[in-house]
Amino acid sequence: MSSTWMTTRAWLLMLPLLVVMVAVIGWPLVDTVGLSFTDAKLVGTGGSYVGFDNYTNMLSSSNFSRTLVTTTLFAVVSVAAEMVIGVLAALLLNQQFHGRAILRALMILPWALPTVVNATLWRLIYNPEYGALNAALTQLNLIDAYRSWLGEPATALTALIVADCWKNFPLVALIALAALQAVPRDITAASLVDGAGPFNRFRFVILPYLAGPLMVALVLRTIEAFKVFDIIWVMTRGGPANSTRTLSILVYQEAFSFQRAGSGASLALIVTLLVTVLAVAYAALVRKTAGSAA
Amino acid sequence: MSALEIRNVRKNYGSVETLKGIDIALQSGEFLVLLGSSGCGKSTLLNIIAGLAEATSGDVLIGGRSILGVHPKNRDIAMVFQSYALYPNLTVRRNIGFGLEMRGVAADEREKAVAEAARLLQIEALLDRKPSQLSGGQRQRVAIGRALVRKPQVFLFDEPLSNLDAKLRLEMRTELKRLHQMLQTTVVYVTHDQIEAMTLASRIAVMRDGRIEQLGTPEEIYNEPTTLYVAGFVGAPSMNMLQATVQGSMLAIDGAKASLPLPTRFRDAVLDGARVVVGIRPEALRVAAEATAPSLPVEIEVVELTGPELVTTARIGTQRLTACLPPASRVAKGQAASFAFSEDALRLFDPDTGKAF
Repeated sequence: MSSTWMTTRAWLLMLPLLVVMVAVIGWPLVDTVGLSFTDAKLVGTGGSYVGFDNYTNMLSSSNFSRTLVTTTLFAVVSVAAEMVIGVLAALLLNQQFHGRAILRALMILPWALPTVVNATLWRLIYNPEYGALNAALTQLNLIDAYRSWLGEPATALTALIVADCWKNFPLVALIALAALQAVPRDITAASLVDGAGPFNRFRFVILPYLAGPLMVALVLRTIEAFKVFDIIWVMTRGGPANSTRTLSILVYQEAFSFQRAGSGASLALIVTLLVTVLAVAYAALVRKTAGSAA
Repeated sequence: MSALEIRNVRKNYGSVETLKGIDIALQSGEFLVLLGSSGCGKSTLLNIIAGLAEATSGDVLIGGRSILGVHPKNRDIAMVFQSYALYPNLTVRRNIGFGLEMRGVAADEREKAVAEAARLLQIEALLDRKPSQLSGGQRQRVAIGRALVRKPQVFLFDEPLSNLDAKLRLEMRTELKRLHQMLQTTVVYVTHDQIEAMTLASRIAVMRDGRIEQLGTPEEIYNEPTTLYVAGFVGAPSMNMLQATVQGSMLAIDGAKASLPLPTRFRDAVLDGARVVVGIRPEALRVAAEATAPSLPVEIEVVELTGPELVTTARIGTQRLTACLPPASRVAKGQAASFAFSEDALRLFDPDTGKAF
């Protein structure tokens, strides 16, 4: 069979998928690019051409820079915490003890729950009148009176990060646990004979085997955290005083709450560009990690 | 005082008893090989000595000190693994010096020890490479180097040559022998390869089903096997085992019109009419020009030239036997011949107990 026919056949087989992708991703993307150069409203006429005004206005607005800082803070802190907690959980669940299988299954639950359910649960926990967190902290004499954790700008973002960590650390733990199974027993035994303590054993024996898979988890989670919308929308809608407003929330507000479709489209494309840069940088990192592990 | 003493060590995994009371005492500088097939308990015993598994009962002493319950790093042992077990992200230099680094040995002292080990193992040029850049043989040298720098009382080797190809295995075997002769260290070495055991050991413990079947020098194991199992396990090709019956002062080979004189040294040990197994090493057989006693009349079935010898399989009645003959021997398929041997080469075993007479 000739290679030309093989290539043609491959393209023919992929054609239906390509058509669907162009229809549901390609066309809206092109339309968004077009929209971003206009002053179109959400309803009504298509708007008139304004050049790069939407982009320059958005990039120079304090709203954008403040939201970018909030988004970065949310992504960095929550992903870092998820990585640390996930790896620690995986190390614990990799030990031999009774009930380990049940605990491993239970650990997946937060991740398996829909984000809306998770967000609603945490809203209940943080509730300023009957929330479990307030009850626990007052009973432990750690606070004097019930507080509105999601209602105060000083605590809302932290409260959101905790909820996001709780939902997503199991993914990191699962990936780390799978990687731990690949650590050769002989190398662990050799490190014991060589006198490596728990920290050095983790650093020199376990971490090299975890690095590659953890890098994949890091890429996935950072990109997801940077695009975060649903958990924040359900819990705080970006408030109070915009203290938990992330870029995706800002895009939504701009396009749908303020009905500025053109401006919203330009912001959406800026976010897409930022995430693409992150994805490309991380992909290069993953390739480098995989290369050095080989 | 023994360098290593194993006292009645037993190991149970649930209801399964994998070690059934092992007793061995090793003098300083001895090279003990634990030889046996898969699942005989040899690696379990090695892991108990290393502290990677706990004995259910019994005791292990190194330099007269009980080491049961002592952490592996404090047992004064070093171990070389079948899979090399090198740290993949560290250079050869750091791999070799890792044990010293973990023990807080100063960098210059460590560097000196690593250089010395690298010189002994001829891997000086590899010190800055990562394990992934090394061949199997080089990796095993690094693993041995990592054990050497520690200068422990006892070296433990867990099938270290099994992952190497045949040619490299031979080279590394000689290398290990050279190192042991030079350093005179105490070694416990696990293998299922009887050639490795014969060539390296000062003593061999043949293990079977969690017990020591026979403990002795390679010569004793080869020439004076105390059981049918040891006789069959050690030697390639295996010892010939012919079923026979004692008839007065003769041994009648079952299923064949052939008999051998019963060596005088066995006359008091076996009763007339008793069924026995006659053991003769293939290397002990030669083609007799004429039917001299003791000899066995055979019909040649298969002749295989291996290079240094002619491995000949022959039929004697309903039984078979193998002979390792000189390559120039004139034997051919279908030919009737007579295999002669020295009376001293003949062993007799009880077929019921498997023990040697």
